Order: sequence, then structure tokens, then C-alpha cells
Amino acid sequence: MIAFENVGKTYPDGTTAVEDFSLEIASHEAVVLVGTSGSGKTTLLRMINRMVDPSRGRVAIDGEDVAGLDPVRLRRSIGYVMQASGLLPHRSVLDNVTTVPVLRGTSRREARSRALELLETVGLDPALARRYPSQLSGGQQQRVGVARALAADPNILLMDEPFGAVDPIVRADLQQEMLRIQKELHKTIVFVTHDIDEAFLLGDRVVLLRPGGVVAQQGTPQEILAAPADDFVRSFVGADRGTRTLHVEEIEGRRIVVDADGRAAGVLEPPAGGAARA
Amino acid sequence: MSTRSASATQVLFDAPGPRGRARIRLLSVLSVLAIAAVLGLGLWQFGRNGQLAADKWLPYLRRDYLAFLGEGLLGTLRATAVAAVVAFPFGLLLALGRLSRLRVLSAVAAAWIEFFRGIPMLLVVYAFLLALPAYGVTFPRFWMLVIPMILVSSATTAEVFRAGIRAVDRGQHEAGAAIGLTSGQTMSAVILPQAVRLVLPSLVLALVSLLKDSTLGYVVSVNELQFQGKTMVSITRYLVQTYLVVSGIYIVLNILLTRAAHLLDARMRRRAATG
Ligand SMILES: Nc1ncnc2c1ncn2[C@@H]1O[C@H](COP(=O)(O)OP(=O)(O)OP(=O)(O)O)[C@@H](O)[C@H]1O
Ligand SMILES: [Mg+2]
Repeated sequence: MIAFENVGKTYPDGTTAVEDFSLEIASHEAVVLVGTSGSGKTTLLRMINRMVDPSRGRVAIDGEDVAGLDPVRLRRSIGYVMQASGLLPHRSVLDNVTTVPVLRGTSRREARSRALELLETVGLDPALARRYPSQLSGGQQQRVGVARALAADPNILLMDEPFGAVDPIVRADLQQEMLRIQKELHKTIVFVTHDIDEAFLLGDRVVLLRPGGVVAQQGTPQEILAAPADDFVRSFVGADRGTRTLHVEEIEGRRIVVDADGRAAGVLEPPAGGAARA
Repeated sequence: MSTRSASATQVLFDAPGPRGRARIRLLSVLSVLAIAAVLGLGLWQFGRNGQLAADKWLPYLRRDYLAFLGEGLLGTLRATAVAAVVAFPFGLLLALGRLSRLRVLSAVAAAWIEFFRGIPMLLVVYAFLLALPAYGVTFPRFWMLVIPMILVSSATTAEVFRAGIRAVDRGQHEAGAAIGLTSGQTMSAVILPQAVRLVLPSLVLALVSLLKDSTLGYVVSVNELQFQGKTMVSITRYLVQTYLVVSGIYIVLNILLTRAAHLLDARMRRRAATG
């Protein structure tokens, strides 16, 4: 479990990135922090692995204040996927993935065979292992980033806009891959994005942030869609633009869900027990 | 690449019209003629003074003359190589010192670098030749040349390394930290390999200036090329010819090194461009 307890961050230059933020993230839960640029998402994420130390309050993992942990050991036990450029350009894909396990004392041979498995897990052809990051597409690079973060088999995975720099089609692909991996591995994931669709897709719980790390609303995607807390949330989730309104049409005796543009989104199952009556 | 730079020139300068082109052609022809005239005048002067006479040039094909100059060439290369092998790593250490978060270390490194970067190398050589011996500190002649070369070159390459380290993407420091490298490991395993690759062409050029610096060997009588040339002049009295031959050798060496630097640079660029 990860707990933010009234944390705040004021950078040395006087910028207050986070005012007063509290949140509990259960083990094996995927929480998405979503908000506009500069709302303090990266700052909050980095408090977990001590790349940023909070100015106020504390962050605890399983009840233990991270401030008391050795940052290097802490970071080796937590997977971190950065936005583009997080890979080491002068090292091969394989070496990028094996860096942390080797540092933690795994034998090179073992780390390599595990790395090859991981590449497959994230949907990469192991034949790419000998290439350098610059010889991969953006989407492939991000997959390597995910594989690297998983390499030390961490319980916690931090992801900072990992799919921000790839085109929408590849992004959709990576998102599906992410869902599959999470189903398989059950990590505790803290995911940062400014794409609300991505947040709703990947998050068990979504935390919507205003500038200053102020929580505008948090809850399951369903809860947020059902009852946006205020106009800020409503505009962020696109509810007021009608982009998320769906309605039901009866076609040939079946109830079809149709979106705002008139495209069919799916078939509405009758409520449990209703089938017998029909 | 070439097509792109061509179009860039076209953006920056109006493409010349027919009259402009004619003028450019005329100017080119005139400047070539002017250069040829100067060269010709020089040659004519030499010829008039008998400097072009075959008997003044043919000796440079004699085996013993060649061996004599060859020994000088070897001395030059040895001094340059030894100086580079010590100066480059030392320069890297100085750069790391200057970038250190320890104020004292950073200040000492900065002062050292600025001092040796600002002072003419000849003065340093004189210090080793004249000043230090007065205090009873003497070095073999070879080191009286090479130590000043090291001191001056390490200061300039320190700045090259520092620029390289600075040029590595800031995100790479974060990448190192994020995967759990200590700051020392980040520097040695992530930043430095990239920085060194970036500055490799500049280091080859630093080799060119080391090669030129080694000519000060004549001050301390080290058997490098320049000194051998000087000795040869005093024996043969063929001043013009000897120095022309010696310069020719230096120029060829430096052209080779510079070509190597350009090739390296182009290769780096191609690598980067595949990203
Ligand atoms: N090292 C720093 N020094 C000073 N100010 C900083 C620093 N890092 C971030 N900030 C400021 O803190 C605020 C929050 O930054 P942060 O990076 O957490 O935002 P973010 O939500 O991740 O934004 P984005 O979506 O653009 O990545 C911004 O105003 C930013 O300018
Ligand atoms: Mg960010």
C-alpha cells in the first residue's frame, strides 16, 4: 500500500507544485493521476521513489516512511517508466533491460534470459534485443521501457505518461498490452497521464488533479462519469460536450447503445433475470 | 544532407540571376589568378636566388637525410602520443572536478584550468627549463617538453569534456536515477560514455594542437621534427628547403588528423540521425 499523507512540495525556486495532497493506494490497485500540464503529477509520482522529497507531509509504503529508506535501494525495488528518452541510447535493448537486475546481483546470464522473456511479455520480438534504442520506433522504445521497469520484478510500477509520445493507434495497442500485463502480474500501479480516456481505460481508480496537486475528484471511472463533482471535472471528462453521452435505440428487438455521433457502441444486455421475461 | 544544406543556402541568400552568376564567375577567376600570381612570384624569387636548384632539393631524397627527419618525426609522434595519453584522462578528471558539487574542488579545478588555458605554452616550457632548475628541480629533456604539453592540453580538453557532459540530455540523469543508479554510477555508466562519444571529434582536433605544441621541443632540444629541422639547417644551410619540407610533413599529419575528425563527426551524426 502506498499512502500520501498531507504531502506538499515547494521547489527551491519557490514554485509550489503540490499544496496539500493525501491519497491511499491499495496493493495491486491501478491508480491513474490525471490532470493538465503542470498540475503536479510528475512531482507526486516521484515522491514515491524519492526522486523528489516532499517539503511537507510524508509518503509511506506499507506503513514505512520512504524518507527513512535508502533512495537507491528504494528505486531498484520500484519500476519506473518515463516519457520518451528514458532509455540509455548507448546501450543495447538487452543491456537496458538487464541493468537493474545485474546491479541487484542477478547473474548476467540469468538476467538476460529473463530479459528475453520480458521482451515477449511486452509484445516485442526478442530479435530486437541486440538493437540500440535509436533503431526502434517510438512504440517499441516504450515497450522496452516497460520491460525494463518490470525486470527487477517490482511490486510497484510507476508510469509517467509512458504512451504520451506515440501515435494514437500504437497508443491503443500499448494500452491493451498494459491491461493484459496487469491482469497477469497484478502490480500496484501509479500511472500519470493527461489523457482522460487513457485514465478511464487503465485505472481501477482515477484521481483528477487541478494545478497545485489539488484533487478535483477521485473515484472509479463509473463514479466520476455518473456524478462529475463540478464544472472542472465535467469539462475534463468531456461530459458537457456530449462526447460521452450514449443512448439506447431499439433495433430488431435488441437494445443497441449508440454514441453521440450515432455510431453503435454495443448491445445492451437486459438486467439479470430480465432475460427470462423477454 | 547536401540537398538540405543547399536549400538552406537558397533560403538565406537569393539565388543569383544570370548577371550575378557572371559576376561570381569573374570574381572566382580573378582570385584564382591572384593566388597563382603570388605563388608564381614566390617561386620566381626562389628561382632567381637559386633556391629551386635541383641540388638543393635532391638531398631530401637521400637516405641519411630522410632518416634524420624520420627520427624527428618519431620524436614528434612520441611526444604527442605520451602527452595525449596522460592529458586526456587528466582533462576528464579536471572537468569532473569543475562540475563537482564540492565548492572547494570545483574552485580549485576551475582555477587550474583557467591558469593553464590562459598562459602561453612557451612560458610553461621556460618554467621547466629555467625556473624550476633554479630550485633544484630538473626533469629529463623529453619531460621538459611533455609535461608542459600535458598541463596546457589537459586544461583545454577539460573544457571540451565539460561541454560534452553538459550536452548530454538532462533526462539521462533522471533516467539513471529512476532505475536506481547512484549519482556516481549514473555519471560513469550513462553520462560519460555519451559525452565522450560527443566530443571524440574535438579530441582528435586537440591532438592536432598537441602536435603543433610539440614544436616547442626545439627550446629544450628534444629530437622532435622541428628541432631536427633546425639542426639540419645549421649543417646544410638549406634554410628555405628544410623548413618547407618540415612544414609539409606537419601539414600532411594535421590534414590526416583533421580528416579523421571529420569522418568521426560524420559517423556520429549518422548515428544520431537514425534516432
Ligand atoms: N525541478 C523543479 N524546479 C522548479 N519547479 C519545478 C520543478 N519541477 C517541476 N516544477 C514545477 O512544478 C509544477 C508541477 O510540475 P510537474 O512536473 O509535477 O507537473 P506535471 O503535472 O507532471 O506536468 P506535465 O503534464 O507537463 O508533465 C510546474 O509548475 C513545474 O513548473
Ligand atoms: Mg509530468
